[in-house]
Amino acid sequence: MAHTLSRRQFLQGCSAAIAAMAGARLTRYAVSAQSSTADMLVVIFLRGGWDALNVVPPRDGDDRGLYEVARPDIAIPASSLLPLDDRFGLHPALAPLHDLYQDGKMAVVHAVGLDFDTRSHFDAMEYVELGTPGHKGTQSGWITRHLQSTPSGSSGLIPAISTSEQPTSLLGFPANVNMYSPSDISLWDNGLAAEQKQALRQMYASDTPLASVGQRTLDAMQAVQPLVDVDYQPSNGAVYNDDELSQQLKTVAQMIKLDAGLQVAAVDFGGWDTHEYENDGPDGYLADLLGALGDGLANFYLDLDSGYTDRLSIVIMSEFGRRLVQNESSGTDHGHGSVMLALGGGVNGGQVFGQWPGLSNDQLYDHADLAVTTDYRQVLRELIANRLDNPNTDAVFPGFDAPPLGIFQS
Amino acid sequence: MSSRKRSTLNRRDFLKGGTLAGAAFLATLVSRNNPSTLAAGEDVFSTFLPLIMQGTGGGGASAPLEVIALNRMAFGPRPGDIEAFRALGNSDEERLTAYVQQQLDPDSIDDSEFETRYAAAGFQTLHKSLEELFADHIVNNPYDENDEAFWDWYSLPIYELVDATILRAVYSRKQLSEVLADFWFNHFNVYLWQDQGGPLGVSYDRDALRANMFGNFRQMLEAVATHPTMLYYLNQNNSSDAGPNENYARELLELHTLGAENYLGVQDPTTVEKDENGIAIGYVDNDVYEVARCLTGWRVDDDTVDGGNTGRFLYYKPWHDRFNKFVLGRYIPADQPDMKDGHDVLDLLAHHPGTARFIARKLCRRFIADDPPDSIVQAAADTFLAYSDDPEQLKRVYETILLSPEFAHAWGQKIKRPLEATYAMLRALEADFTRVPEALPWVIYLMGQGLFSRRTPDGYPDTIPAWANTMSILYRWNLALALTENWLNEENGPTIHVDVRAQTPADLRTPAGLADFWIARLLGRPLPDVSRQAVVDFIARGEYGPDDELPEEDFDYWLNGMVQVVLMAPEFSLR
Repeated sequence: MAHTLSRRQFLQGCSAAIAAMAGARLTRYAVSAQSSTADMLVVIFLRGGWDALNVVPPRDGDDRGLYEVARPDIAIPASSLLPLDDRFGLHPALAPLHDLYQDGKMAVVHAVGLDFDTRSHFDAMEYVELGTPGHKGTQSGWITRHLQSTPSGSSGLIPAISTSEQPTSLLGFPANVNMYSPSDISLWDNGLAAEQKQALRQMYASDTPLASVGQRTLDAMQAVQPLVDVDYQPSNGAVYNDDELSQQLKTVAQMIKLDAGLQVAAVDFGGWDTHEYENDGPDGYLADLLGALGDGLANFYLDLDSGYTDRLSIVIMSEFGRRLVQNESSGTDHGHGSVMLALGGGVNGGQVFGQWPGLSNDQLYDHADLAVTTDYRQVLRELIANRLDNPNTDAVFPGFDAPPLGIFQS
Repeated sequence: MSSRKRSTLNRRDFLKGGTLAGAAFLATLVSRNNPSTLAAGEDVFSTFLPLIMQGTGGGGASAPLEVIALNRMAFGPRPGDIEAFRALGNSDEERLTAYVQQQLDPDSIDDSEFETRYAAAGFQTLHKSLEELFADHIVNNPYDENDEAFWDWYSLPIYELVDATILRAVYSRKQLSEVLADFWFNHFNVYLWQDQGGPLGVSYDRDALRANMFGNFRQMLEAVATHPTMLYYLNQNNSSDAGPNENYARELLELHTLGAENYLGVQDPTTVEKDENGIAIGYVDNDVYEVARCLTGWRVDDDTVDGGNTGRFLYYKPWHDRFNKFVLGRYIPADQPDMKDGHDVLDLLAHHPGTARFIARKLCRRFIADDPPDSIVQAAADTFLAYSDDPEQLKRVYETILLSPEFAHAWGQKIKRPLEATYAMLRALEADFTRVPEALPWVIYLMGQGLFSRRTPDGYPDTIPAWANTMSILYRWNLALALTENWLNEENGPTIHVDVRAQTPADLRTPAGLADFWIARLLGRPLPDVSRQAVVDFIARGEYGPDDELPEEDFDYWLNGMVQVVLMAPEFSLR
């Protein structure tokens, strides 16, 4: 299953570099990627295992009763939930997303996740992001395999970025660029950067793999340069807060608008390992996190609702959900089934997808956690086929097949 | 597997790993140390240059043998190393033989400079035994687990191991040992920033790998298989007859011994072709399950159940699957003596021709080329098998590879990975340090090869495509800048000191003279004409001829910049 950058891809990158060197406009790199009709994908990974049962709790019925009994100190009151349908509500801190849900721009998938026996953060993240549950030796992430197998290719100037560290989902994709902010993609300047870049152009002018990546690096710096040390002005009055997530989303928005061939952005948002005091007081810990998520995402969406959202897909996922029963510290321990959110112009929003397994003891995974009734790959597979225009989903998730749930318009 | 109650909110911060804080920290550091203002915008496309065709792979002509040897069985030359190599004999063959023999006998090498620096570094935890590491940093952590101090104390041995590893790689004259320690750590990779057993990685590196890397593979394999760091990392610690965990068993076959090249997929194990000794020629899924059963009960003596919570390896008979098994076509009877099932498996694997070829190919890929010639792979595999019971088996294998014509004739078919590039720069610049400012590991991490940070068990890749990427190259360039300008240092913290001017002969004042001196000094060989011209043009800055005397004004500023350009050259990254 090893995927490495092929000689052909190197040559593609190289010929684009030659064209740029010959005086063509820099955006020539991006042309092939931009001319496709595929969505740009933003994957937000919530590290730590978010508490799906408090993000999208049951509103009514037997399961509501079971939920309240299991979580006497931390259950979200039914009266404060933002209704999603007859069965479920959304945590009130996600109010900005509830608006998008009602507009049909956001869908919820419940009881979704990694269908593999582990409650380890590291194992679960590894399996989810490699896309090969049970196999740690896989040498590429699922996003990497999408970019390598998509018919329109991934030879744009900056086809993928990650805004914290390179996630495992992008393992083995050399063209990925790590950037928390655009200034990360620049030569540290001792005052001689211009002269040094000129020397580098001369030294990296051959067609060896090393030389062509040197050219690509110089081109990427050149492309991102207009964004460095410039106050970004979001569209539609959107405001990016100063928190970790919003700042990353701001970078993604800038890169999307830059038109440099971006196909995928991977964003990490940590802090979801709520083992204690998760709902402490009205501004509880989980509410804080969800507030940052909802506000950041809603503003990001608003900013890009300036001609970009028709070709934008956003998915929010985590490595697992948490235990039904609260623990002795008014928190929750590692669980199993989780919730995924999907946003974008091509999402059949306003619905909760997935088969609800129920919360009675015999319906729980290991008699403890929300069960997984939808493999997370089923969601991503549909997204890749319908929105990213990549029919080669078997290359992305080898040996996995499942029918679409109808979350994404084709 | 059950969840672990000791996880807390603070563990969350540990999981996040502080990446963002690190990036922001770096940015602040660099801007604080940067005296200049932003350069004006430039048009990098104003100069159109025709393509220069070079050779295959990383490209480029050949290099002198001393450059080959010092870049492929060492982390690049320090000043004087090239001359010392040349003095080892009267022919290339003599010199190479002498160098290899010396490096294969590390105890014979005077390493006093490194030892002095190591002593001055004041490490507090690296001398501790496995049991001491477990007791001090895991069982009896004196801090409240909600405090940052708890995780600082937990991780202290690994932070120290990072510093010591960099210190050794740069200053130890036992360079082959350092290259090999890196090779074997990646071969038997574990992620040391894990929340179970992380601090024990100090012992893993020292007692399981370094202690055996010139010895016998079978012994190293067992040292790894019984080391708590590996047992935790690949979930062997939870593997019992009631719930065998196949994680370690699978990687033992796929990554540690036979390799994926000998994996035959899902097949009936009774129909697999056998070699002349009656052993299956490759493995199938059933072998993974059976090996997992053989190894049930191999665990850590921690607080899971029974035992004395010592942190040592424990064979726990109540968890061992006592019934008969079938591995690689070999019947393993029920109720064997303690650990015999596992020992039989390790014996089978360590003596298998598939393992010999897999290990040989990987070593050749490390030392010779991404795609090493079959001739040398086979020769190394033959040595591996011929000496399989010899206490110096691995030494014989290295010797076969390093003294081969394939080794001496290959050049530029590999690039330096981020760690190798970092070590090579520190060595070439004659950098002065004992402890490492925390910005250095961060830059290494940004290049994609953080120390002990590879999460997956396959270890960091060792081929050009994996490392020819924007981040790896850009931060390699930035590292050249930061080291030469002394930008990584913190006030009141450890420093890495580099003084380019002091290492430049005082009588050298011309662009051509300075360029040629530093090219020879950093690369040990000439640059292609176009690249040399770029270096000369840089320091001549459009104002001076190649043989004009440069004025003292701004001399250091441009000299530093020129040295950075040479370090940024693609040729510096070739091996």
